[in-house]
Amino acid sequence: MKFGKRLKQQIEETLPAWRDKFLSYKELKKLVRLISSAESPEFGKADAGAEFMYLLNNEIDKFNAFFMEQEEDFIIRHKELQQRIKRVKDTWGPGGTKPSEAEYKDEMAKVRKDMVDFHGEMVLLVNYSNINYTGLAKILKKYDKRTGGLLRLPFIQKVLQQPFFVTDLVSKLVKECENTIDQVFPVEVEAEIVKEQREAITVAGKGIFRNTVAALLSMQEIRRGSSTYGHFSLPPLDLPDSDLIHSFQLNSPITTV
Amino acid sequence: MSSPLPALTSPFKDKYTTLPSSSSSPSIATSDMHVSALTHVQRPQNPTFISQSSRGVASLPPVNSSFPQSTASLNHTPGNEDASWSLDQLQKFLDLPENAAAPAPNQLAESGTDVMASEDHDKKTDWHEWADDFINVPDPDWSRVLDDTNVLDSKLKVSKQQPQFHQNQPAPHGEFSSNAYPSSTTPTKPRMRWTPELHEAFLEAVNLLGGSERATPKGILKLMNVEGLTIYHVKSHLQKYRTARYMPESSEGTSEKKVTSIEKMKSIDLKTSIGITEALRMQMEVQKQLHEQLEIQRNLQLRIEEQGRYLQMMFEKQKKVENEKSGAPSSALDEAPSPLSGLNHLPCNNDKSDSEALHQDKSRIGIDSGNAGSKNEKGTADVSMKQKALETESTHHVEKNDDESGFPVLKRARTEK
Repeated sequence: MKFGKRLKQQIEETLPAWRDKFLSYKELKKLVRLISSAESPEFGKADAGAEFMYLLNNEIDKFNAFFMEQEEDFIIRHKELQQRIKRVKDTWGPGGTKPSEAEYKDEMAKVRKDMVDFHGEMVLLVNYSNINYTGLAKILKKYDKRTGGLLRLPFIQKVLQQPFFVTDLVSKLVKECENTIDQVFPVEVEAEIVKEQREAITVAGKGIFRNTVAALLSMQEIRRGSSTYGHFSLPPLDLPDSDLIHSFQLNSPITTV
Repeated sequence: MSSPLPALTSPFKDKYTTLPSSSSSPSIATSDMHVSALTHVQRPQNPTFISQSSRGVASLPPVNSSFPQSTASLNHTPGNEDASWSLDQLQKFLDLPENAAAPAPNQLAESGTDVMASEDHDKKTDWHEWADDFINVPDPDWSRVLDDTNVLDSKLKVSKQQPQFHQNQPAPHGEFSSNAYPSSTTPTKPRMRWTPELHEAFLEAVNLLGGSERATPKGILKLMNVEGLTIYHVKSHLQKYRTARYMPESSEGTSEKKVTSIEKMKSIDLKTSIGITEALRMQMEVQKQLHEQLEIQRNLQLRIEEQGRYLQMMFEKQKKVENEKSGAPSSALDEAPSPLSGLNHLPCNNDKSDSEALHQDKSRIGIDSGNAGSKNEKGTADVSMKQKALETESTHHVEKNDDESGFPVLKRARTEK
C-alpha cells in the first residue's frame, strides 16, 4: 500500500502533462485481487494470465510512447540550447558582433535558468521510467503471489528491454547538460553567503524543482524497510543531504510558477 | 531493440504461415505473452514494420530475447485511455480470438531477430525496397500531400503559436493515410526512436534546404536517406523542431519579454542576481542527486533480475537432474538445497512449494547485493566500482542483514559465485 500511496503523491506533484502517463497501479492491484478471488471456471488461470498481460502490455506501450516522445523532444532541445548559448556568446559576448556586458549577462541568466529546468525535466523523465518499472515489478510480484503463477520472472525480463526502461540516452544528455551548465555558471560564491541565501530563496521553475524534491523523498520512502522486505527488494536509500531536501519540501516560501 | 518485434510478427505471419509451431517457451506465461502481443497488433502494418525494425537496428543493439516485445505503438487502444479497468473490458478481451495468431510466434520473433541482426546500418535489404516502394508512390498523391504540407508551412509562418500546430496536425495526417498508405487502415504512429546522430543528419538536411521554414518533409527525407525513416517521422520531428526554435526566439531580444521576465523575478521574491544563481545551483544539486540515485537504483534492479535469472537456470538444471534420477533424490540434490532452505522464518515466506523456496533464495541473494549496494552509495558515483566492492564485501552483508531483516545470510552461496 505504501508504494501505491507514494506513486499517487508523485503523480499529483508531477508536471501536469505527465499525469495520466504513469502506471495504473491501483487498478492493476484491484484486478489482481479480483482474479485471485474469482476462481470461476471461465476464468481459468491461463485466461487470467493472458488478460493481465494484455493490460500490462498496454501500460508498457503507454510508457514507451510517452518516453520516446519526450526523449525526442529532449534531443532537439538539447541541441537548441547549445546553439543558443553559442549565439548569445557570438552576439553579445566579449568577442561578438555587438558585445554588451549587460545583454550578455541578461541572456546568459535566461539560458542558465532554462538549462537547469531542462536538466530537471530530463531527470524527471528518468524518474518516470524508474517508478513505472518499480510499480510493474511490484504488481507482478503480487500477481504471482496471489495466483501462484510464474509470470513475474519472464515478464520482467521483457520489461528490462523496453525502450522506456533503457534510459541511457537521456542519462547521457543529462550528463552533457551538467557539463555545459558547469561551464556556463559563474564561479562559486563564498560558502557563508550561500548558506544565508538558501534560507531566503524561493525557487520557481514550472514545478520542476518541487517535483524533483518530491521524487527524491518518495524514493527514500519507498525503499524504507517494509513488512514484505525480501523478494527482490531494494535496500534503503542513503541520501547525503536528506535533511536539506526535507526542508525544501516543508518550506512554504517555495512557490511554483 | 525491443520495439520492432511485435510489428514484425504480424507481417511475417502473413508471409510465413507455414512455419512449424514448435514453441521453445518454457512456461505458459511466455506463450500467453505471445498471444497477447499478437492480438495486440490488430492490423497488418507494413510501414510500421519497416520503420520500426530498420530503425531499431540502426540505433540499438540486436535483441536476443525470445520474447516478442509487444510495444506495437498502438497508443490509442479504445477504452484503455481511462485508468479504470472493469470486468467489461476483461470480457471484451476474452472474446478476442486468443489463438488467432498462435502459430509459432516464438519462431517468428526469432527469425525476425536473426534477419535484423544480420543487417547493417545502410545495407540494402528487402525492407529498403519496400520503403522505397511506398515512398515512390505515384506523383499526384504526393503533390497533394505536399500541398498540404506547404499549407502547413505557410500557416506556421503566419502564427508562431503552439496550438496552431496541433490543430493542423490531424488534417494532413488523415489524408496521408488514405493516399500514401493504401494498405493500412489507420494513421498509425510507428514509433521511431530518435538519436542525436539522427537529429544531426536531420539538421544538416534542413540547413541544406534553406532552414526550418523552407525545408519540406519530403525533401528532408530524401536528403537524409535513412533506411526505415518515413515521411511521417520527419514531419512530426520537423514540427517539434520548429516549436523548439520558436520558443526561445520569442524570449530573446524583445524588450517586452525582458519586462515580463523581470516581473517574474520579482514575483519569486529574489533579491540579487546572485540569488538566482544560487537558487539554480541548489536546484541543480537536488536534480543531480536524484539522477545519481536513479542510476544506482536502476543498476541494482538490473542486477537483481540478473541473479534471479541465474537462479532460475540453476533451479531448472536441478529439476532436470531430479527427473533423470527418476524420483529418488541424489546426494547432490541433498547438498544443494540445504544451504538454500531453512529460511522459513522470512517474513515474506509462503511455505508452499519448492519453487517458492527457491524464489526466496533468489530474494535472499538479492538482499545481499542490495545491501552492499547501499553501503557503497556514499560518495561514489562510480557504479562499476560499487559492483566490484559488492563481490568482495560479503562480511558486511552479515551485519547489515542481521540488523535489518533478522535472518542468517547465505554467505556461502553468495561467495561461491
